[in-house]
Amino acid sequence: MDIGTLKDYSDLAHDLAQTKKNALEKMRSRQIVAYNGRLFQANAETINVVQTFKAHSKDFYMLDTNDNPCHITDPDDFLRILIERNQETLNTYHQLHEDLKNKRLK
Amino acid sequence: MTTGVLIYCFNTPEVNYHLLAERCIAQIQKHLKLEITVVTNIETYKQFKPLGLINYKLVDNAVGNRRSYRGKNIAWHNLERSLAYEHSPYDTTILMDCDYFVFTDNLLTYTNIDYDFLLHNKVHDLTGEDMIEGKNESTVPIVWATVTIFRKSTFAKQMFDLIQLIQKRYEHYRNLYRIKYRNYRNDFAFAIALHQLNGMVSHKNFIPTPMAMLAHEVDVLDMSDAGVTFKYGKKVGITELQDVHVMDKEFVNV
Repeated sequence: MDIGTLKDYSDLAHDLAQTKKNALEKMRSRQIVAYNGRLFQANAETINVVQTFKAHSKDFYMLDTNDNPCHITDPDDFLRILIERNQETLNTYHQLHEDLKNKRLK
Repeated sequence: MTTGVLIYCFNTPEVNYHLLAERCIAQIQKHLKLEITVVTNIETYKQFKPLGLINYKLVDNAVGNRRSYRGKNIAWHNLERSLAYEHSPYDTTILMDCDYFVFTDNLLTYTNIDYDFLLHNKVHDLTGEDMIEGKNESTVPIVWATVTIFRKSTFAKQMFDLIQLIQKRYEHYRNLYRIKYRNYRNDFAFAIALHQLNGMVSHKNFIPTPMAMLAHEVDVLDMSDAGVTFKYGKKVGITELQDVHVMDKEFVNV
């Protein structure tokens, strides 16, 4: 394979990597939700914490993205909001990921 | 409780900021659907095309500040922003640069929460070149005044009062915080005010995710309702449904 083709592969790989990086940033921006006046990221960590706390108590306290405490009085409602937003953003990212699969050099 | 967007826009001999503001306002009307107030001067106001239900506040803006832009030294009318608390007619204000373009309603998340003052302290360079954040530019960590969400409150009032003082005595504060740039930058004035009002210690309370940005060096080729196509070097990139701060001031002239 000549060096020109290798360079094309490298350039394309760079572009795809950057596109993914930007899409992940976009996803994280969209994952921010407000709840009871505080800010939370609807990611797997937050969802897992809420699910775990919910199994032990009807209401509990959590730290938001800026480490400020928030009283969660309706964990079911909070969890629903988090999962909905998480899946909305992951669905968008998944579609982009599928598109990128088809953009490899032939 | 009222919520709205406040934009400062003053044309300079080199840049038609009103063209940027027109694009910015169209995006706000489409995605945020909030009331908008534009603070401008009479000369710039006359250049605006009809934009629907927009509030204008005409001021006689201060001049004299300058900036570096693509190898040139150009005028920069950025000295009115410190008066945003007084200029804003809203209980909750999204104070936004006219070169920040929204393609989502993400900012609405920050308008009904228990924070009096929020802005970005991180940026994401969409080109991947990390050419926006410099190193060792000052002894205070930089924040980005591009998008600032504030509520009419004691803390926000104190912030803007202190920013006005910092602006007035900027040479002193510039030396105190070893700021590399000689011109006045709101980013540093906001950073200093936050540092001082928070007791001179590190603090949090920022917008949790970085602000997506395209640097001066990046050319915007096209801006549609959905996103931005940009070029840097030999590479072309696209953003879709992502809010973005565009530093190229010339694409609107095309």
